[in-house]
Amino acid sequence: MSVPSRAVARAAQSFECAAARRSFASDSSIYSSSQRLAGRGTQCLREAQRATISSQTARVSQSQIRSFSQTTSRNKLKTIDQIKARNRGGPFNLTAAILFVASGAGLWAYFTYEKERMARKRIAEQTKGIGKPKVGGPFQLIDQEGTVFSSDDMLGKYSLVYFGFTHCPDICPDELDKMALMYDKVTEQCGKVLLPLMITCDPARDTPKVLKEYLKEFHPEFIGLTGDYEQIKQTCKAYRVYFSTPSSVKPGEDYLVDHSIYFYLMDPEGDFVEAIGRNFTADQAAKIMIDHIKDWEKPLKKETRWE
Amino acid sequence: MGWFSSGPKDESGPAKTSGGAFESPSRSNRKQCYTARDAFFECLDKNNVLDSINTKSGREKAQTFCGQLDQEFEKNCAHSWVEYFKKQRVVNYQREQTIKKIESQGGEIVAPQLPLPSSK
Repeated sequence: MSVPSRAVARAAQSFECAAARRSFASDSSIYSSSQRLAGRGTQCLREAQRATISSQTARVSQSQIRSFSQTTSRNKLKTIDQIKARNRGGPFNLTAAILFVASGAGLWAYFTYEKERMARKRIAEQTKGIGKPKVGGPFQLIDQEGTVFSSDDMLGKYSLVYFGFTHCPDICPDELDKMALMYDKVTEQCGKVLLPLMITCDPARDTPKVLKEYLKEFHPEFIGLTGDYEQIKQTCKAYRVYFSTPSSVKPGEDYLVDHSIYFYLMDPEGDFVEAIGRNFTADQAAKIMIDHIKDWEKPLKKETRWE
Repeated sequence: MGWFSSGPKDESGPAKTSGGAFESPSRSNRKQCYTARDAFFECLDKNNVLDSINTKSGREKAQTFCGQLDQEFEKNCAHSWVEYFKKQRVVNYQREQTIKKIESQGGEIVAPQLPLPSSK
């Protein structure tokens, strides 16, 4: 751009301002192509402020010729008030910054929460069998009191199902201790919405009496289930549990049972939700369950089944 | 030989069935068993014996160095548990060695996890 045309542009600015306020479609030919149309509005305000400070002379324009910017540099402003007035008009201030950060953080938190919720929902949906459940299913066993307990007794509450046996050397007792912690944490946060079930893989030795003795050392609320060999075999099969109990054992025989060691979380409609492995701590496992329970939108029975 | 020879019955341990299983595997019985096991394994550690069940030499060494503690172990635990723990000791050691080996080669140990449903 030539020097005279720059001076003309500078002088024409005050006229242009009035026009720009009414219409942004004003003729831009006298402006340099680099000047943005949208900048004019601000420029106009600044012009208005500057009008009181210095007159629009060619000298001012010419002193700016050497600079590449058309905006007045800070050292042109004489007093604190002028600097304040100039800064007040800028697009960035503290309120805007706070609002920007706050809304950003809010959106981030919301989307993170929604993403996690959707992931949990997907797990719950995908593991839900269509028609016939993939894991779990109807069974009829007896609990440690000798009362019949069927899969229908699980409905209305979440259930945490564990398969084990009382003559288990180390893993099952550890896992049952963990289960007691998990159960207490869930109950504390969500109320009595979880049934802690231990189904034995060793029905020959684990009679209701043995189970009762055994489980009361872990948690008074635990329900131990046993049955005859065939019933247990069917239940294990439904839950995809592998177990190595011999079908006929002599009384007093000493043997161990190899079995799968997952906790199965079942929803209040009897559908499988998630399997929780040994690698989870009680806190992690409890959190998984609490999150699923909070996602549940249908009614939950909070009273125990005996009430 | 070894822990098969129970000799005269010592009745001070927890009640057991004729087959050698616990009458009731209660918390206190388990604790008693774990204590006896730890004492026996400590003795094996001291005498540099890893395997006290799978090999003949191992059984003999265990009997020579820690025979008394082995009997205590057998007395306080179900027989199946004794076998289980002795085998577990070997497996645990081998697992630790494998992990150390992988880590010394700069590998990373990733605990086996349930596959996520989305990775189907």
